[in-house]
Amino acid sequence: MSAPVLEIADLDIFAPGIEGPRQLVFGSSLTVQRGQAVGLVGESGSGKTLTVRAVAGLLPEGFTTNGQIRIDGADLGTMAPRALRELRAHRLGMIFQTPRAHLNPLRSIGDFMIEALVHVAGAKPDAARAHAIELLAEVGISDPGRRMRQFPAELSGGLLQRVMIAATLAMDPDILLADEITTALDVTTQEEVMAVIADLRTHRELSLLFITHDLALAGSVCDRVNVMQHGRIVETLNAATMRQDATDEYTKLLMSAALDEAPPIAANDVESGPIMVIDDLFKTYQVRGATGAKEKLIAVDGVSMQLAPGGSLGIVGESGSGKSTTARVLLGLEHADSGTITVDGQDWSAPACRGSERRERAKIAQMVFQDPYQSLDRRQTIRQCLTEAIRVHRPKDAKTTVAARVSELMGQVRLDEALLDTRPRALSGGQRQRVAIARALAADPVLLVLDEAVSALDVTTQVEILTLLDTIRRDTGVALLMITHDLTVIRRLCDHVVVMRQGVIEERGTAADILDHPQAEYTKLLLDSIPREGWTPRRRRLGRTQALPTVTRSSIIPR
Amino acid sequence: MNALTRILLGRLGGLVLTLFLASIVIFSTLLLTGDPIATLAGGAKPTPELIAQIRAEYHLDAPVWGRYWDWLTGVVQGHFGRSFVYKTDVMNLVAPRFGITLQLVILTVILILIFGVGSGILAATRGRVVDRTVGILTSLGMAAPTFVVAILLIWIFAQSLGWFPVFGAGDGFWDRLWHLFLPAVSLAVLFLAYISRVTRSSLIAQLHSEHVDTARVRGIPRQRIFATHVFRNASPQILAISGTTIAGLFAASAIAEVAFGLGGIGSLLVEAAARSDLPVVQILSLILVTIFVVLNAIADFISILIDPTSVVGGNRE
Amino acid sequence: MSVVQITNGKAPAVAKRAAQRDWLFIAALIVFGVIALAALLGPWIAPYDPYALSGEVNGAASPDHLFGTDDLGRDILSRVLVGAQASVFAPIAVVILSTVLGVAFALIGAWFGGWVSGTIARIIDVIFAIPGLVVAVLAVAMFGKGLVAPIVALSIAYIPVVARLSQTAASRELGKPYVAALRVQGVSSWAILLRHLLPAMVPIVAAQMAIGFGYSMLDLAAISFLGLGQQPPAPDWGSMISTGQAGITAGAPEQSVFPAILVVITVLAVGIIGARVTVWAEEKDA
Repeated sequence: MSAPVLEIADLDIFAPGIEGPRQLVFGSSLTVQRGQAVGLVGESGSGKTLTVRAVAGLLPEGFTTNGQIRIDGADLGTMAPRALRELRAHRLGMIFQTPRAHLNPLRSIGDFMIEALVHVAGAKPDAARAHAIELLAEVGISDPGRRMRQFPAELSGGLLQRVMIAATLAMDPDILLADEITTALDVTTQEEVMAVIADLRTHRELSLLFITHDLALAGSVCDRVNVMQHGRIVETLNAATMRQDATDEYTKLLMSAALDEAPPIAANDVESGPIMVIDDLFKTYQVRGATGAKEKLIAVDGVSMQLAPGGSLGIVGESGSGKSTTARVLLGLEHADSGTITVDGQDWSAPACRGSERRERAKIAQMVFQDPYQSLDRRQTIRQCLTEAIRVHRPKDAKTTVAARVSELMGQVRLDEALLDTRPRALSGGQRQRVAIARALAADPVLLVLDEAVSALDVTTQVEILTLLDTIRRDTGVALLMITHDLTVIRRLCDHVVVMRQGVIEERGTAADILDHPQAEYTKLLLDSIPREGWTPRRRRLGRTQALPTVTRSSIIPR
Repeated sequence: MNALTRILLGRLGGLVLTLFLASIVIFSTLLLTGDPIATLAGGAKPTPELIAQIRAEYHLDAPVWGRYWDWLTGVVQGHFGRSFVYKTDVMNLVAPRFGITLQLVILTVILILIFGVGSGILAATRGRVVDRTVGILTSLGMAAPTFVVAILLIWIFAQSLGWFPVFGAGDGFWDRLWHLFLPAVSLAVLFLAYISRVTRSSLIAQLHSEHVDTARVRGIPRQRIFATHVFRNASPQILAISGTTIAGLFAASAIAEVAFGLGGIGSLLVEAAARSDLPVVQILSLILVTIFVVLNAIADFISILIDPTSVVGGNRE
Repeated sequence: MSVVQITNGKAPAVAKRAAQRDWLFIAALIVFGVIALAALLGPWIAPYDPYALSGEVNGAASPDHLFGTDDLGRDILSRVLVGAQASVFAPIAVVILSTVLGVAFALIGAWFGGWVSGTIARIIDVIFAIPGLVVAVLAVAMFGKGLVAPIVALSIAYIPVVARLSQTAASRELGKPYVAALRVQGVSSWAILLRHLLPAMVPIVAAQMAIGFGYSMLDLAAISFLGLGQQPPAPDWGSMISTGQAGITAGAPEQSVFPAILVVITVLAVGIIGARVTVWAEEKDA
């Protein structure tokens, strides 16, 4: 048997620090054989990205390493810089999380593809161009000749990721290093990209080192999976028997978070009328498309839905589906073009203009946002933040009453009161989100809107927050409206589901119906794209792109 | 017409509007001052006939908007009015001096671009020692305004070394160059230091960017990375700031001109202001503002052409 | 947040750099403090009357006259000390005026949006189109020489810089999700402005003020150098440098050189302080 393509032996990585180097990775070891796919799974701070960057030579300035990294048997530590560069250029291909950031915005796709061929491999420009077009076709990009002339700004994330993959193939590498390459993509696009990689692996005998936080995905796509936590590899498993073989506590925790197949939440029968009714909502935006011409983007196209009091409705969709826009219109952050919105019997079709109106509405519906850090004023302590939220509605209350309410809220979100005098910077993502929830509950609303509220959190934290939300719902009877792209979130929290795509509702029903017996094509596609046991990615349509221009959010102060 | 052309035309329109509004501001200075009659009379108490004559000659009785329009249309046709102090057409005063200022500015720009951008590149690419050295020099440079450098240079070269003249503009190409060298250096130092800093930070931002990481992993040679990825991407920003700086040089040259006794439009402006010679002040202000606005716009246009994505939208995510 | 993100881009040996930087910062503070003190106490600590003629014209530096005497025989050190008042305090006035006006413009524009914001932007464009020196010259042509016209002129000329900076900072802050959260909570617009937006802008505005002080000091001195600012016989660093120019060729550079050195030192110190404040402001923003 030939030498493994990649061998990492007892790798330590140190970051520079004020008091001396800080160790971030402790004795990692893993091996990737020829043609094998190995996954490296961990949450944020696990050290997985650092490990792969060490292999590629992209550690930030000042970082130091111990241990050995061998590519095709050659020890990287003993090589001269020039030889090292050559080796990496020819044997490794690296793909990153946000392709857009890794492409020079001022150079065309063609320039990017041809550059390595001409300047590293020494090919002639014409031959390089022809080869580049072949590569683009190989990754399933239609009309490659036209794409060569385009610039990164004109292509969607999914397309750009394929371009990056095609570019790495240019040098015919032995191993592909993939760092969270699908984390920023919709789940359907993710499947496409993984299918492309699977194809390439078969045709080219390409090895793969696959970094991800998604254990299910790694398990489906790789032969072996390494689980990393706090800089150490805690377990190495065979992907096929991963579930049964897992012995480490953390691994089991990750697995239950990723692969749990708990039954969906049952819907209660509703006695009283709905707490929220959205009827025939329309919202369009004027955007600048890639050519610079103004286009009209229909974000929400005649959408209707209802939410029962104390119920929990999930709006599921990928990017561009209009789900977030719907939520923002509901809470008065955007102005609908037409349609009616009724909340708790009041007509909310137009955003509140006067302060008093806004305060009234605030008592009824509140929102928790996606980014835990940015949704808190980082200059305020938690206590100040919650006090402000309380005082909006109870300006004259005594200090002690307000303080008691603060304690009550902290208890509801299960946060230690010792944290009250810290600032958001000192808290973890999960803790910050709990503060955001507490702040939202301060007004004692009947409706809580969660706009991708767990999407930015680690998988294990997601489970905690979702459980917390479910508990709060049962305890206080607040209705939840959950906006998400992640169907597993739905499974844990919602009793009814609405599936949206490009501004239109594709399907609606109870969670049980949607998750176990989907009717619409799109819903089936969504469910099929989720990595799970026994799943393999399949290419559905060649060259499918997400061709929707973005909307730049208007400033918050209403026009 | 595509979006880019539309944007450029829009900017052009904005430019014209800004110039127009600025001209109104400049013109109003005549209105807001005290009585110009005193200045015109040259200090002596004016007789009623003299007052009437001055009023007629300078149209001081006509309504404001009319005067403004006459003035503006006159200026555009090249009638720059008459100086209060020198009693001659402003055009006669400006024309011979403009050349000197222009030559001074060109020489300064060459110095700024070569040493400013050059030192910025060195600071960003040649390692820590070079970076610190350039950093110290630029810190000093940014604290050294034109008049201070001028004094220092005059002191050094007049007292000890007689290498360069410290007064006058000279005659003929080489003599002119020789005379303008020190003034150009004194003008350049401050701006050169600033541009050096801006160049350095733009380049460093690019050097740390992820697309450069990608190019490195792919094994692209370092020279090429610098030229096509680092420098090219940093250039719109460097260009924009250089453009604004260069545009301001025409006005800033006044200081060098006064210090070194050069007869340029800057020193004329200062003299005229000191003597409340309003027509001259107005025309020169208008000229300087026009140059400033036009040069800025050119820099802006070029940077849009290099990187259209900075203004035209199109992010598909 | 992955570890790589936290430390990416920051230079190594941060500690060593920070200590060095702090030493420089403290030195700059001390230097500036001394100069500000001298400016405050100038008339009282000057050894001679700055207007008094000593009879010794263009005297070299001596134990009697530490900085020498000028072209009319006045003691240069005394003139430098008394002149410090104008040279150091006038920029403060410029900075305060331009900051208040600039921030006000930016906030009004950001608040009302629409045509108000557009008009303000246009006004700022026009001010920006007129180079600072030209504004000063226009002001002097209108109001005569002295300190007042240049101060007013520069305050106006600096408004665009402050306004644009404040506007960027304000827009960026207003775009953050927490502002949306506050609105949904029902917090009044005033409260958002006062309790959240303004405090967020303080670091950036403070940094700009520090930097602006240096620039306005240079500009004001330049205007005095040109003879358009503080008029003789009142002492002023810029005009002293100008008057002393003739003396240089005659072998008596003191009148120009000493004030010039002081200008450079002060601006250098302010520059170091300004850089430090900017770094602090950026850290606050993280």
